Amino acid sequence: MAGIRLEKVSKTFDGNITVIPELDLEIKDKEFVILVGPSGCGKSTTLRMIAGLESVSSGKLYIGDMLVNDTPPKDRDIAMVFQSYALYPHMSVYKNLAFGLKLRGEDKAEIDKKVRSAARMLDIEKYLERKPRALSGGQRQRVALGRAMVRSPQVFLLDEPLSNLDAKLRGEMRTSISKLHKSLGVTFVYVTHDQTEAMTMADRIVVMKDGVIQQYDTPKNLYHNPINTFVAGFIGSPRMNLFSAQVASEKNKIMLRADKYFFEAPSELSDKLSGYVGKEVNVGVRPEDIHAEDFFMGLEKSLKIEADIDMAEMMGAELYAYFDFAGARMISRIPSRMNIVDNERLPLAIDLGKLHIFDKETGISLRV
Amino acid sequence: MKTKNKRLDLLFYILLSLLALVFIAPVLIVLSNSFKGQFYITDSPFTLPDATTFVGLENYVNGLRKTGFFSAFLYSTFITVCSVVVIVFFTSMAAWYISRVRNAFTKAIYYALVFSMIVPFQMVMFSLSKITNAMNLDNPIGIIFIYLGFGAGLSVFLFTGFVSGIPNEVEEAAMIDGATPVRMYFSVVFPMMKPIVITVAILNAMWIWNDYLLPYLLIGNKYKTIPIAVQYLQGGYGSRDMGALMAMLVLSIIPVVVFYLTCQKYIIKGVVAGAVKG
Amino acid sequence: MIKKYVGKYFPIFLFPTVIAFFVAFIAPFVIGLYLSFCDFTTVTNARFIGLENYLRIFSESSDFLNALWFTVKFTVVSVISINVLAFALALILTRPMKGTSGFRTGFFMPNLIGGIVLGYIWQIIINGVLGYFGVDITYAAKYGFWGLVILTNWQQIGYMMIIYIAGIQNVPSDMLEAADIDGASYFQKLRYIIIPTVSSAVTICTFLTLSNSFKLFDQNLALTGGAPGNQTAMLALDIYKTFYNRVGSEGIGQAKAVIFFVIVALIALVQQYVTLSRDTE
Repeated sequence: MAGIRLEKVSKTFDGNITVIPELDLEIKDKEFVILVGPSGCGKSTTLRMIAGLESVSSGKLYIGDMLVNDTPPKDRDIAMVFQSYALYPHMSVYKNLAFGLKLRGEDKAEIDKKVRSAARMLDIEKYLERKPRALSGGQRQRVALGRAMVRSPQVFLLDEPLSNLDAKLRGEMRTSISKLHKSLGVTFVYVTHDQTEAMTMADRIVVMKDGVIQQYDTPKNLYHNPINTFVAGFIGSPRMNLFSAQVASEKNKIMLRADKYFFEAPSELSDKLSGYVGKEVNVGVRPEDIHAEDFFMGLEKSLKIEADIDMAEMMGAELYAYFDFAGARMISRIPSRMNIVDNERLPLAIDLGKLHIFDKETGISLRV
Repeated sequence: MKTKNKRLDLLFYILLSLLALVFIAPVLIVLSNSFKGQFYITDSPFTLPDATTFVGLENYVNGLRKTGFFSAFLYSTFITVCSVVVIVFFTSMAAWYISRVRNAFTKAIYYALVFSMIVPFQMVMFSLSKITNAMNLDNPIGIIFIYLGFGAGLSVFLFTGFVSGIPNEVEEAAMIDGATPVRMYFSVVFPMMKPIVITVAILNAMWIWNDYLLPYLLIGNKYKTIPIAVQYLQGGYGSRDMGALMAMLVLSIIPVVVFYLTCQKYIIKGVVAGAVKG
Repeated sequence: MIKKYVGKYFPIFLFPTVIAFFVAFIAPFVIGLYLSFCDFTTVTNARFIGLENYLRIFSESSDFLNALWFTVKFTVVSVISINVLAFALALILTRPMKGTSGFRTGFFMPNLIGGIVLGYIWQIIINGVLGYFGVDITYAAKYGFWGLVILTNWQQIGYMMIIYIAGIQNVPSDMLEAADIDGASYFQKLRYIIIPTVSSAVTICTFLTLSNSFKLFDQNLALTGGAPGNQTAMLALDIYKTFYNRVGSEGIGQAKAVIFFVIVALIALVQQYVTLSRDTE
């Protein structure tokens, strides 16, 4: 049983560089939590504090029910997979897996059993006698996972484990890691800067920026209810379109004005928006909520606009059409069947029911 | 274009071969003289031994008797091998500590070590020989300790440069696996330092094997290494025996040549690495 | 955390080296510095006399200045000759020819032979040649001078050549190919591509030969021993002779050693400066 709890944890390097001002985070037992954020946001530092590779400057860190601030890594019942794999270069795969068990003084037969069973699970039995440098990136990654597995820890910590792999392999490894999480039934804490990894694997995602947690929620909620413009922009690819609009009130309805268009705001936000009348807000809309098909043009909840498409990127199943709107750069995802050429004027329909509205000053979503 | 290159190549081959001959000739001349009677050597050093001048192995027998070459060889070997092992073992540990535990203390030590590299031996030779004497380090075992201290500068410098380039992650993995620092060092870090260990070992071996003044001043009275033995033969004690000198020169070159031919690849690599970083 | 984890193990990791370093270097260095201001024959009977030793270096004989001048002349000549020849050899041996590695092996070999042994090898040869003219190497200082130059060239050319070869092999081949396409001649490529790229090797070799030549001792002792008189004694040998050949002049020897150290340290500082300013260019 090992959940993880960080209470008012902070991290300061060399006495003056504060990476994490104050962090509260609770990870449940057996949960798969992924920390994402741009580089330097403190996600790796947080993971390394949980691992015990960095000390906690202040606050309390619990693994299970044990306060582990001063517990050395080996006694935290954790295992870690590093971005560079950090395999012992001069040891065979077998010895890499066995090293930690040997240090714990387990007997040879027991070690052998554990090493072989982990190797079987990860499909690296063939390579047990090889040195790491004779393995491909994907195989090394599996060895690194195996080294973590054999110790059967309560918590798995993974620091950007897939970022050194090519795209195809990364896809395969995502699946294997998800499976591994299910079959091991232990807590996974995973750091990445790749939102696809976060979205596909995590039970819950922690989005971080400048050492502060922006939002901690399920992938689905993060995508559909981003708490602020940062999360809205960070999650989703291509990123959410953001433009500014003027709030107005007309006939008891809250209206928005952007570019030459005047349209009704989502009714569920009317109450909150009434305080913004006469001010500007940021409006967000995902590229897939800007449609080009005729079907959407007639819908009541659509805002029809004329877009001058200055570039169309063919992505295969769909097409990214770029245009300027209300002073912002916009992208629409359009089925690739449609024939669109550069510099074409195209009618588009923005789904008004899917608008996100953010306070211009604080960036916080009005939906919270 | 092709034929021009070929002619040029031929020209270079001839030039290089002549030059190579010049480079090897001195050793061959000494070798040829070592088989000549001692009084013929100074008169005509460039002729090959003939019926009158050839004396077989007489010079070698004389030389070995006069210099105690066997014991010199053993002392040289003992001191060189042990010092190199001790230097590699301890300075690599110190370098790892210095590069992983950065604080005012380790920095001061590091700079002092780097500083020692530029200080010529003459600056310390007198006080060092007195200290060694006072501490009873003036014997083949004590001198190993002195070589550790005196060789620490270059060795720590080279090791630190190398270790600083190894990312911490492997050591962190070992830490999570439960390795104590000592275990971590010997099971994980030291094996990763293999390339630089070879460089450091070779540079120190070349230095210590050929070193003359330090062992001469510290232990030369009682224990003669090869350079001391050779110099002793030359020294003004009676008329010098040229034949024995030639024979001893040959004998002292043989181990070096054997060592060079067996570890040539490492030696050249090590020397380049050492020079470029030093 | 590694820092904290490993930190308290300094007695194991640091002490052996540091203690040896203290005994073999720090203590002798500090004592040596102090002794240069003392009159002494052993460390225990040292008596502080201020700058007198330093003054006596120059007032009692001209040996030190002669040695300094001899050393400077020797250093200039050998630094230039070693580097020019080593670089030329490196250029030839990096051509696409067969059998270059055999030549490299041969040219490098003398470097491994110790200074004392080298000295005697060349003494035989030089005396053998001079014998035809009825003189030997101790007959005049110029013989000793050129003897030392030849000896150090023989010893060090191979070493420097190897460093130059490593530098030349680092010249990117696409750069040379681009120059070929632009129609550069061999000497233009040498002037504008090869030499600028190996400039760090040039700095390394120059200072290496500079410091080697300046500190030369074993070869000097074995080849001429300073003869005739002290005319071919370089600084290191002059200091040694002052210490051990004349009882009562240990203080002067130590003072000379301090001056010697200061000169060598200045050379190292200049090297550091040159290397740094080139790196930041």
